[in-house]
Formats: sequence, C-alpha cells, structure tokens
Amino acid sequence: MSEAHSSSSFHIPRIRTIACTILAVLGVIALFTVDLRLGFGLIGLASFIALKLIPFEVNPLTARKLKRFREIKRGYYSFIILVVLSILSLFAELFVNDRALVVSYDGDWYFPTYSSVKLGSTFGLDGNLANTPVNYRQLQQHFQQQDAGNFVIMPLVPFSPNENNTFEGVLRPQPPNSETEHYLGTDSTGRDILSRLIYGFRIAVFFALAFMVMVYLIGITVGCLMGYFGGWFDLFVQRLIEIWSLVPFIYMVIIIFSVIPTNFSIPVRIFILLSIMVFFSWTGMTYYMRTATYREKARDYTAAAQVIGASAPRIIFHHILPNAVSTVVTFMPFTVAAAITAVTALDFLGFGLPPPTPSIGEILKQGTSSLEAPWIVSSAFVALVFILTLVTFIGEAVREAFDPKKFTTYK
Amino acid sequence: MMNSATYKSISTVATFSIIAALTLITGCGGSADEEEFQPHDNSVEVEAYYQTFKRTPPDLAAALRSGEITQEELNRRMEDIPNFFQFRSLADLPNTLEWEDGLDLPEFADAEAIQGGTLYGALQDFPRTLRIIGPDANGSFRPYLLDDVALRIARRHPNVTEIGPKGHFHYPELAEKWAVDYENKTVFVKLSPDARWSDGEQVTSDDFMFMFFLFQSSYIREPWYNNWYTESYTGITRYDDLTFSISVPENKPDMNARVLSLRPLPRHFYSELGDDFVQRYQWRFQPTTGAYIINDEDIRKGTSIVLTRLENWWAQDKKFLRNRFNYGRIRLTVVRDVSKSFESFKRGDLDRSGLVNLPEYHFEKLPDSAPEIQNGYIQKATFYNDVPRPTYGLWINQSKQLLDNRDIREGIHFATNFERVIEEYFRGDYVRMNTTADGYGEFTHPGIRARSYNVDKALEFFGKAGFLDRGPDGILVNGRGQRLSFTLTTGYRNFQDMLTILKEEAANAGLEFRLEVLDSTAGWKKIQEKNHDIAFSAFNVSPEMYPRYWETYHSVNAYDEPYLADGSTPNPNRKPKTQTNNLQCIAIPELDRMIEAYRRSIDAEEMRKLAFAMEEVLYEDASFVPAFARPFYRVAYWRWMRFPKDFNVKLSRDHSEYYLGWIDPELKEATLSARRSGDTFPVTIEVYDQFRLDDSQSEKEISLVQPTP
Repeated sequence: MSEAHSSSSFHIPRIRTIACTILAVLGVIALFTVDLRLGFGLIGLASFIALKLIPFEVNPLTARKLKRFREIKRGYYSFIILVVLSILSLFAELFVNDRALVVSYDGDWYFPTYSSVKLGSTFGLDGNLANTPVNYRQLQQHFQQQDAGNFVIMPLVPFSPNENNTFEGVLRPQPPNSETEHYLGTDSTGRDILSRLIYGFRIAVFFALAFMVMVYLIGITVGCLMGYFGGWFDLFVQRLIEIWSLVPFIYMVIIIFSVIPTNFSIPVRIFILLSIMVFFSWTGMTYYMRTATYREKARDYTAAAQVIGASAPRIIFHHILPNAVSTVVTFMPFTVAAAITAVTALDFLGFGLPPPTPSIGEILKQGTSSLEAPWIVSSAFVALVFILTLVTFIGEAVREAFDPKKFTTYK
Repeated sequence: MMNSATYKSISTVATFSIIAALTLITGCGGSADEEEFQPHDNSVEVEAYYQTFKRTPPDLAAALRSGEITQEELNRRMEDIPNFFQFRSLADLPNTLEWEDGLDLPEFADAEAIQGGTLYGALQDFPRTLRIIGPDANGSFRPYLLDDVALRIARRHPNVTEIGPKGHFHYPELAEKWAVDYENKTVFVKLSPDARWSDGEQVTSDDFMFMFFLFQSSYIREPWYNNWYTESYTGITRYDDLTFSISVPENKPDMNARVLSLRPLPRHFYSELGDDFVQRYQWRFQPTTGAYIINDEDIRKGTSIVLTRLENWWAQDKKFLRNRFNYGRIRLTVVRDVSKSFESFKRGDLDRSGLVNLPEYHFEKLPDSAPEIQNGYIQKATFYNDVPRPTYGLWINQSKQLLDNRDIREGIHFATNFERVIEEYFRGDYVRMNTTADGYGEFTHPGIRARSYNVDKALEFFGKAGFLDRGPDGILVNGRGQRLSFTLTTGYRNFQDMLTILKEEAANAGLEFRLEVLDSTAGWKKIQEKNHDIAFSAFNVSPEMYPRYWETYHSVNAYDEPYLADGSTPNPNRKPKTQTNNLQCIAIPELDRMIEAYRRSIDAEEMRKLAFAMEEVLYEDASFVPAFARPFYRVAYWRWMRFPKDFNVKLSRDHSEYYLGWIDPELKEATLSARRSGDTFPVTIEVYDQFRLDDSQSEKEISLVQPTP
C-alpha cells in the first residue's frame, strides 16, 4: 500500500452524508426517548443508505478486498445470514409477540401489533375481561368457539418475552412443545425461551454494533492524534492509556453500574451500561492507529498537504485516516464478538442489562441453576455459539481479505 | 427484634468476591497477630464502673436534649438515683417472693435420642469472627455459638405457649428458680449451683453483672446493645454468688421474659477487655454454658469449622436439657454455591438441607418422585410451626403524591395479585398473610383478611380518585394527564421474578409498577430515607408475646411535626422522618392514642383489645398490602437423621433450633450399605400439622369493632 489514495476515497456527496447523519442521530434519539423500534428502524435506514453509497466511492484496492471477501464463501454467507437476521429482528414484533397481527371483528379490521393497548370491550368481551387489556390468544379461542366469522391471526410465536405462562397450573419450566407453541420451552418463571432469545439477540447485536462504533470512533481519533502530534502529547496519552488499560474492565463495569440508580427507564440504563463499557474499552484500538499514523505521517503526500497549508484535522481525517484505517477494519468483527460476550457475561453475573430485559446471558444463568430443565441452558448455549460463530467467520474472512499477502491462510 | 429488616437476599457475586478477598486476607495474617496484644487487666475499671454507673431515666435525658433542664440540674437530680449495680446480702432478699421453677411443665425432647455421631453441614460463608458481639458477629454462624446453644436464665416453653397468670411459661436453663415481683418491676433469680462454663468455672451472679458492663461498654462497637442494655433495664442487684435480681422500667405482661431470656458472660474470659476488643477477641472462642465448644485445632479458616459436644456437660441430665444437643460433633464445611451444596447433600456428603423450603427445590430439584426419595435414602418432613412470620408486603408511602389518597391505596390492594404469586409462583405452598401481626396467637386479629385481587374493584377505586381513562399503553391517566405509575422498590434480588408477575397483573388493572431492584443495603437505605413510593420489604419478628406498634405506626416515627398545634390536623409542611420503621408514614391521631395506651398498659387483655382495634384502623387505612407467609418449615435429610415423634416444637423456626434431633449410627451403616447394594427402604415423606392454624380462607365479611378511644 505504497500509493496514497487520499483524495479519491472521500468523495461522498455532502448531502447524502448529512442525510445519513441526521437519520442516525434521529434514530438514536428515538431509541432512547420515543420508541425502540422506531430508533432501530431509523438507524437501520441510515446504515442502508450509507452502505448503498459505498460501492460508488471505493477505491480499486478496497474493491479488490471486497471482492476477495465475497470469494471467501464461509465468511460471506455468515455475513449475509447475520445481516438478514439483524434486519428481521428489527421487526420481531411481527413474528414474536403476544399481540395479534390481524383481528377481524364484526367486519372491522384491527392491527394491534404497533397500536395502543385495547381493552376487552373493544372485541365484545364482557365481565372481568371487558376492562382488562385483551389477551389475544384467548380471544382467538373465544372467536373460534363463537364461530361468528370473527378471527384472530397470531404471529408465529404468540408470546411476548416478558409474560409468565403457567405449565400445569404453576410457573415452572415447560419442555419444548409445538402444540403449546413454546418451540424451545419456557424458563423457570414460564417465559417463552424462543421469544426471549430473539429479543435478546436483537438487543445484543445492536448493543454490540453501537459499542463497536463508539469504541472505534474514540480509539481511532485518539490514536490518530497521538501519531500525528507525537512528542509530549503522545507520551502523556500513552501513559494514560497504560494506566487506563490496566483497570479491570468487568469489575469496573460491575462496580459503576451497581451504583447507578435503577429508577431510570430501561433504555436509559442500557445506554448507561453501553457508555461505561465504552469508557473502559476504547484504549484497545489506539496503539494500532498511532503506529499507522506515524507511518503515514512520514510519507510525502502528508508533507505535501502540510506545505499546501491544510489544517491538522483535515490532514488527519482526510488524508491519513483513509490510508491508516484498513488495519483496524480487520478487528471490527472481533470487537463485536467481544462485546456480545461481555454483555452476556455481565448478564450471567447479574450486572448487565436491567431486568426484565431479555438476554442470552440471563437465560444461561437460569439454565445453569436449573439443570433439571436442560432445554433452558441448551437453547441459550446453542444460540450464543451460533451468533459468535457467525461473527468469527466474518472476522476471519475480513482479515483474510484485507491481508496484503493474498495466499496466506489462517489457522 | 424488629430493628433489623430481613435482608436474606441471594448473595451477589460482588459480595462473594469481596468476602473471598477478605477471607484470604484474614486467613493469611490471622494466627500470627495473637501474640502482639499487650497484657491487660480490666478488673479495676469494672469495679469502678460498678461503683459509679447510674442510668439516666429517659424523661430526664429527653428534657436535657430539649433544653428544659441544664446539665447542672440533671447532675443534681441524678444524685437521687440509685446505682445501676447494687450489692446486698441474702438477708435483704424480700421474703414474700413466690418462687417458681417451671419443673411442672412437660418435657419436649425424646428419651430415645442417641448421643454421638457427627453431623455434616454446610456454611455459605466462613464466619468472619468467633466473637458473639461486635462488628460482623451477627452473622449466620452466631446461632451455633450463641442463639441456639448458649443457655439463658430460663427459656419460654416452646410447646406451652399460652399466656399464664405470670406471662409466658418458662422452663429453667441456668436458674434453679426465679420469682417475678410485678409491683417492684423486678425479677429475682437463684442460679443452679451446678451451672458451669465450658472451661470449668462456675456461673455466678458476677457473670450477669459483667454482662451489663460489657453490653453497656463502648469497646464492643455496638450502639444498639449499648442503648438496649441501658434503656431496657433499670438495675441489677447481687445478693450472693448465685442470687441476684434484675429490674426493668415497665411491668408489662411479658416483663419476666425480658429478664429470663438474658445470658451471662464469663467475666474471667473478658478480663482483657479494652479498646482493642474487636481484634483481640476476633478468633477466641468464648467459654459457653451450652453443650458445644470449638477447639482451636478445628478452625480451618475459609474451609471448615467443627463444634464438639462437651463430654460431661453440666446440664446433660437436667429435665429440659437432657436428650438434646445429641450430635457428638458438628462439622460445617464452607460451600459457597447454593446449588453445589444441594448436590453435596444429594450425594450424602451433607446430612440435611433446608433448601427444600423453597418451592423450586421441593417441587423440581428434589421432588417426591426423585430416586433418592423413592428408594428411601432421603426423607422429607414438613413441619407447621406457629411463630410470627417476616412481614412481607407492599409498604405504601403515604407522604408521596397520589399515594396520600386512600382510594388509590385501596385500588392498589385490589390490583396486586398475590393470589396468583402464591398459586403459580410458590405453587400453593405459601399462604396469604393478613396483617403484620400474624402469628402472635391470641394477639392476632381473628377476622381481618387481606383484600383479594379484583380488577373491577381496583378500577372502581382508581376511578373514584379521578383515574378513569386508559392511556395508549393501557395505564390509567387522570384528567390532568398524570399516569397511575409508581416505583416499586425492593432490596431482594431473589424476589425479582415474583415482582415481575405483580407488575404484569397490575397492568391489567391500569396500574404501573416500575420495578427497582436494588442490592439489600441500598434498598433498605432508600426505604429508611422514606424515598420509596412503594416498597416490597419485610421486618423480621421474634416470637414475643405481643406485636409492636409504636415503631411502625406512631406519628412521631412518620414526620418531624406530624400535626398542627391542635394535635390532629395534618401539618401541611411536615417532612417524613428518616431512619425509622414507620415505612408507610402513617400519622393518625386516634391510632397514636391507642398506641400510647397500648405501651402503658400492663394488662394483657386490655392490650389485646387495643391491638385488634389498631389492626382495624390499619386495615381501613390501606397502606400495607400483606404478601405471603410460609406457615411451616421443611427439611430433607438422610434417613439416619432422627427426630422426636412430634418432629419438633411449636415455636421452632427451623429443625435445628432446639437441637432435638440425633444420628442413629446403625441406620447410617445400614443405609450406606443398602446404597452400595441397591437395596431400598420405604418412602418417608412426613407432614406434621399438629400446630397448623385453622385457616379458613372463606371470605367472611369482617365486622369492625368500634375502636375504643
């Protein structure tokens, strides 16, 4: 990579950049204030636009790398599967929910998935049920018994991740059973495991992505600055990073998160957890970026840019960064895997996502303490291994694709 | 005592690691430091204290605090007050005393008990100290050192629980006889001449005097003890080596129990008591009057500890103490993980397990159909006892906005589905609690029943308070757009899943509980600061004669200035009082009057009537939603562990509290060889319900007795 491609790789039209940024910011705001679904949707849209843009902008080297990535089938298909699953999970409410997809009652159509809570009286239920929110599974049976042309269409898995379902009259683990539609059984308080896994997957994946983005943003910036400015700044930040990286990450997260008041809403608490984790893990990327920047800074094009009179930020972000960034790209999938592992471990220990947020770690924890219900621990274990394997395959492929020595194989 | 909340939440990993670290640290440096202590003799200090200490009467202390009297005035008045420690001779003993010895009461141990054998048990944590007092002493190991083992003057008979003409019936432990003088608020005690400390020294009146010295001293770093042993007793008088009397400030009907439940402390052992008490006595085993001692070579720090039965225990042939404390050795091993200790039990490494008290263990992990039970190796017993239960429930803070509205509080009662929790989460194993005074026998209101879950009634009451419409998420809103949403705080992580059920059920009635699950210390602190909306918590209650009301319901514990000058109109600017047990911030003038009358009363019958009237006021006030109670305890044990025919006594809180069980060596041999050869025994799953209360769950309309002013 001796040639400098600083100018050609940064031609993304401003308007699209701005549009993507606005969408992403709106998404983050919506995520934590308005609605989880809307937030994820907007962020997804923004990333889609950004992705859509990339092919127009890639330089020949990158294009060759991407082509090589596509040739590594294992990693490429893993990537496709993960992306499809993640996008599908954004609309998990349509597949896994205790609210009906469609209700037809007395000629009127209702779509309760994203609407406000409906009381029993809406659908002609009487007695106690008239004043309580509708249980659509019961409504479905009720309509079938009535046989008056009304019907309810439930999602594939008709359970929300937080509702407690009884088994033989008590809340206890229920083995997998397709008749009761608990395809992976229920956990120790009767919550559907498949439902919890899917919602847990959604949170874990997007949590890990957000974690990765934030860690790289900070890590790359600090690393570039260190490499570019050098001198006392470099020395000082190096010492800071040395000290900072010696702080045991998991313990710090546990200690800090345990003093955060729990009366914040759950999205806010998830965001706080994310921030704490980022706060203690941004150091990892800095050294790679520092070295790469030192290397690039010595090249002629940097000197040329300096002579022209370009400002330091411009040189760092427009000239050096695009050339230095390829080293860290290969770490990205592994960072995602590490984040998923970390949040699972924290949940397992009981210091992670606030209850009753569905999470794989929490299911694992339940499973290990109730081994007489093996479907709990095995579902969570298989799901976790599956996700981590996908991410690792992607990581391997990316690393191979970005490897300057094309024919190297990794074991 | 009610001053401590029951915070037995599941130990978190954090505490585990801290404990592990501490154990490591203490384990490393523990043994070497004993020689570092300088010799010290406190006899001069103790004698001087006996000669000078006077108890300041509470009214004088209060007057000084409020500035009514000056320090000089107080000093002048204190001159008239006699010394706390008095020395007299036998000739001074009143001759009108009616001595009693409790020997006509029935014995409750089993004569068939066999002495000897080793009981294998588990500790979740290695004890942090062998002291019975001071920092860290009040841990889960103290029952082995003190509570269940060390002898009292006399102890309440655990099966004859009625209230007699002189309070509860007591059987003698250290005493030969005693006499209660209600008029002079004094109990006279004659110790048994046989009573010995485990190091051979005789138990004398001096050990009781010294007990007051130690508990009043600041060396022990226990303000609660300092306060209790100064406030609750007015003096001790020594007549001779074995005879003394102790006086109390009030002649309440249970006055005898307050004195008879005292335990002596060996003065000769604490002769080095001083500023370094906490470190100096950290790992010294105090001689005991009880049957079990701990030898130094049996303390393996962080790993295990062994209690050994004294060979010639002085009390082994006494009527109420024989055939008890039968295990020759009790070997306790540290097993930090709960599920691991249960697996050890199922393997036979541990002799018994109380984990089956949890429905999950009883129904899932060791169900009646489990092979160990079916082949008869492990037996299960359920024993219905009759003691006050921890007061689990929702404590609603009336000082908070909206919750000051009685209709909303009553609506919350109807929107809280403890029935579902009991039926489906606890599998019908527990029962609904009805009042905070359940389990007090004659003092428990027979008519009051907790309100059951009823969405229509809940909506009716919420509607009365202006919450008529449901928002988009199904939660009720009022005309001003306020949501019917409250934070539900708890310090019990182990009840988190249970509270999730309450949350889901309350949403059906348009009420939102925002769950706040804190660790036990933070949770309790928040509740004590009265920062909670609604708290799920409990007080631990000991089997006293009658429930306490002042701590939890009197207005002085609710607000700084509860009323305006007229003494009944609520003060609009009042601030909740922190660090008190009035968690509901209740201030009702009528209730205050009854509580004061109840505290003054010396007549059990009058107190009972007042208690019932107060319970009715509290029921009407509707700021405590009673949760559940476990009316029994359960134990699973290998078949070589034996218990009396009735299994245990009415007041026992677990199977080991009164040390009535024993180990049958022949059965152990037979069981172990059967396990090797695959032979089986008959299944034994026993339920002892002789003390079970007749709990008519029928919803009878309660007729409220008009409260007597």
